[in-house]
Amino acid sequence: MLHALIAATGEPLEYGKAAGRAIALGFGAGGGAAGAGAGIGAVFNASIQSKTRQPELRAEVERDQWLGFALTEATFFYGLVGGFIAFFL
Amino acid sequence: MSAVAGAPPITPGMGGTPPAEKQGMSTKRKIGLSVFGVWFGGIVLFVVLFGVTAHKAPDVASSAFSPVDEFRLDTWFKAGPVAFNKGVLYLLLTTGITLGVMFYIARRLQQRPGRLQVAVEMFYDLARRMSRENLDQRMERKYFPLIATIFVFILVSNLIGYIPLPVNSGSTFKVFGAHIPSLQIYAADTNVAFPLILALSVFVLFTYEGVKHHGPIGYVKSLMPGGVKGPIVGLIFPIEILSNFLRLISLTVRLWANLLAGHLLIAFMGGELGVLVGLQLVSWVLLPFGVAIFIFEAVLIAGLQAFIFAILTAIYIGGAVESH
Repeated sequence: MLHALIAATGEPLEYGKAAGRAIALGFGAGGGAAGAGAGIGAVFNASIQSKTRQPELRAEVERDQWLGFALTEATFFYGLVGGFIAFFL
Repeated sequence: MSAVAGAPPITPGMGGTPPAEKQGMSTKRKIGLSVFGVWFGGIVLFVVLFGVTAHKAPDVASSAFSPVDEFRLDTWFKAGPVAFNKGVLYLLLTTGITLGVMFYIARRLQQRPGRLQVAVEMFYDLARRMSRENLDQRMERKYFPLIATIFVFILVSNLIGYIPLPVNSGSTFKVFGAHIPSLQIYAADTNVAFPLILALSVFVLFTYEGVKHHGPIGYVKSLMPGGVKGPIVGLIFPIEILSNFLRLISLTVRLWANLLAGHLLIAFMGGELGVLVGLQLVSWVLLPFGVAIFIFEAVLIAGLQAFIFAILTAIYIGGAVESH
């Protein structure tokens, strides 16, 4: 059964390479999105909590919140770029 | 836009039924419902007109068309060592707009500022604050112009990336017999060379300042966090050296990948996915998401990336001359 499957794919080596690339891209993008999602959630969680506890610090908290958001969001793109490098190179 | 014509039969009935108790809410609701109605009517119309089977265009089926083609840089002409392409054009535009606006405002500052002056003063205040918080007084006087310039330059570069300009020389359309390149939203940041050069200059700058302040050996020592002693130094030290160089990559990739992924996402949601799968319906269904992502990118991400690049420049330069 497995032999028939491999024979049907033509070039097993090429097929395996393509499959590995696709897995790398999916893993990079998906893992990156999962991690960045959790991180952004944590950033906004902390920001909302501190803003409700001390509304007078709102401006400062919001500035740091956007800094944290951008730094965290970028980690998604590290994963994505890693996936793209694996996929295209 | 034949789809718009199909919608009106749906909207009046839906918008008219709720009793108009609150006038403000009702108008908002009417607009929202009619937009939804147009969208939903468009779906029905697309299904009726084109069906739900895929008809791929010949170029797509033979994979001659690639979605990343629009980000390739075609050389238009050569001027000396410079191969002139759309990236160069966007850089020149950015430089021109930045210098023009800044000089224009600086020349004629007014007691009662106009809209443009208010915006520029806001950027000035923001850059001033982030450099004052992260640098001491002597360094701030020296580097505030650089930080403010980086901020405004990247901001302008990002923002003109969301204006459609006829730069896509890969495909053309005809107006009165003249071949015009297709309209495209392109940003210089979507080419990795632009953020890389900015990040490299920042990296060289803060290394130079650090070496000047601590001396070559002292600078390498200052990379270590204070209070680390014993055998753990052998473990921490390579990580700190590595993280110092990773700043270069993280600065580059943050700006580049944000803009590239944003532009790709806008293109995909704004109709390209429908072209790729060969189903006109998909383009129409995804169009609202494309608009939403466009607004999100243009309002939030463009400013945020400029802000983060500038503030990280300030933090890195400030950190390099700091004594632990």
